Amino acid sequence: MLGAAVLFHTMDLVLGAINAGNMPVTNFGQSLSFLAWLTAIVSFVLISRMRMQVLGAFVAPGVLAAVAAAMLLEHRSRLVIPDSLRSAWLPVHVTLAFLGDALFMVAAGVSLAYLVYESRLKAKRPMAPTGQTTPSLEKLDRINYRLLGWGFVMLSLGIVSGALWAEATWGHFWSWEPQESWSLVTWLLYAGLLESRVAAGWRGRRAAALTLAVFTVLVGSFLSVSLLFPGKHGGSFG
Amino acid sequence: MDEKLLIAGINHRTAPVAVREQLAYGDSEIAAALGRLKDRAPALAECALISTCNRVEIIGVASDPARAIDEAIGFLAADREVDAALFAGALYRFEGRQAARHLFRVGASLDSMVVGEPQILGQLKLAYSHAAEAGTAGLVLHRAFHRAFSVAKRVRKATLIGRGSVSVSSAAVRLAGQIFDTLGDKTVMLMGAGQMAELTARQLHALGAETLLVTSRTFDHAAALARALGGTAVPFENHRPYLKIADIVIGSLSAARPVLEAGDFEAILRERRYRPMFLIDMGVPRNFDDRLNSMENVYLYDIDDLGAVVTESLGERAREADKAETIVADALDSFMRWMDGLDLVPAIKDIRVSIEQLRDTELGRHRAWLATMEPAERRRIEALTRTLVNKLLHRILAGLRSSGAGSPDPVYTAEIARRLLCGDLAAEGPALNPAVSGLDFEIDLDSDDDEEP
Repeated sequence: MLGAAVLFHTMDLVLGAINAGNMPVTNFGQSLSFLAWLTAIVSFVLISRMRMQVLGAFVAPGVLAAVAAAMLLEHRSRLVIPDSLRSAWLPVHVTLAFLGDALFMVAAGVSLAYLVYESRLKAKRPMAPTGQTTPSLEKLDRINYRLLGWGFVMLSLGIVSGALWAEATWGHFWSWEPQESWSLVTWLLYAGLLESRVAAGWRGRRAAALTLAVFTVLVGSFLSVSLLFPGKHGGSFG
Repeated sequence: MDEKLLIAGINHRTAPVAVREQLAYGDSEIAAALGRLKDRAPALAECALISTCNRVEIIGVASDPARAIDEAIGFLAADREVDAALFAGALYRFEGRQAARHLFRVGASLDSMVVGEPQILGQLKLAYSHAAEAGTAGLVLHRAFHRAFSVAKRVRKATLIGRGSVSVSSAAVRLAGQIFDTLGDKTVMLMGAGQMAELTARQLHALGAETLLVTSRTFDHAAALARALGGTAVPFENHRPYLKIADIVIGSLSAARPVLEAGDFEAILRERRYRPMFLIDMGVPRNFDDRLNSMENVYLYDIDDLGAVVTESLGERAREADKAETIVADALDSFMRWMDGLDLVPAIKDIRVSIEQLRDTELGRHRAWLATMEPAERRRIEALTRTLVNKLLHRILAGLRSSGAGSPDPVYTAEIARRLLCGDLAAEGPALNPAVSGLDFEIDLDSDDDEEP
């Protein structure tokens, strides 16, 4: 199911890209769509490689919400990207940044699953022994850690590539516009999250709850930057 | 006469482990407790005490069962220093047939948390041997316990009920699988040597747990068990440092107070860097403070929690349990017949003595004539008269015992038979011949229901 959905979504994105002559990430709707696609791919890989079928139940609603929102917003505005920004940096920067977001989203889904299972075990109402489909807490925790790690790497690379791109285009690395500031904030938060695990051994329930909390901040920043403070990233390219 | 079997107690269905552990007795305490029980409960003619993870029961015999049970409950509350109100609601009391039925069902593991688990039989045998050694088991308890054992044996042989016997330990193992991804890098610590705990440790080890630590109050026990399981023994005084590497801890020590307290556990968790810990408490009284469950990444399951997790193939189990119940019911009928027969014992004794005397008298009268005979002929005549007496007695006994529903009260019938057959002798009361003990009659009464397969 998910595999087929990813396939169709891919076709749609490719068509959109050919149509526009660049990556279809120029407005909020398209960005959401792209993000949902990446998230679905990450989930798909996890499900097929790690036998984490149950993950679908926790990530799919998020992907569905993003896709639905994207559909509603799809044709609202279609911007043409100025020539000055048409460079090889565009796909690199956008993909890295969104891949980071997608990994964080899946990590949040995994954390949610962790919290649900954990509270059931604590309450002496464990999952029915259905065999392989219920991942252990240890596994969920480990996958959460890995996703956060890779997400963090992608986010870092996304920020660096953005800075380099800005330098190449406008002559300065950093301009403190909303998306940049928020990225820095989320980067620091995720750095703290990883540090707490490595240094203080915060794992399990605490790590899962923090992952969800930081992800909420990430969603907040994504929405607010896109909808409230449109800077360069929001579609008004200055 | 007219003594009745009685049982008063609590079990896993009526009382949570928090209550059971307050009434529980350790193995070594039972003999002494029976002595105190005898003193406190004069209405009890015979008594035994069974205390396991899942039940605490007093099994007794009394002619006034209601009073005896009240005394027994009073003893339990006073002896364990527990307010009787605490367990009053959980208490069940059985008399006569109900009590025998309960005892047989317990022995057959039909009353167990995990129906069919085999340990209860051993525990019942232990309770019996304590009572036998303490001298508190008499004719009725001996009989009742032996019946219970033979019912258990028959049930085990004739049904598949024993299949679920390892369910509690496998529930524990399954839970471990929901917490840990792999056992390959995990350390299991076994505290104490309860059978179920040992079985769990064995399974975890067989599934690949990397290290198995065994500790016990007596180091020799720990060492022997560790050798048997392929683990490492740890002296009990020195077990704390090992907790920080133990991912799964199984407790089955007999201890009045929890061995692991919540207070100082935080330090251990910090040292473990909050790696998850699975605490399996199979002890009653419980070995681990139940507040540990609220600590971060600690999962504590006690014996009741595990029992609740056990999911079974209900259909098959129910069918096998039905078969077992039939076996219990059969044994119950024969036991109750025997109990009823006990009421007839004095009358039967008199009848027997009276007829034996008749024979002796007649033989005595013809002694001179008998003396003229060949020894072989004389023996033949003696045998003939003995056979005649036995045949007659047997017919009378069979007639008394076969009195089913609708027939007159067997005790009354026996009294009439006694008057008819004993004549004047009846007035002199029972036990005319002290050489004829009650045990002879037990064997007689038994003759047709000892058909052990």
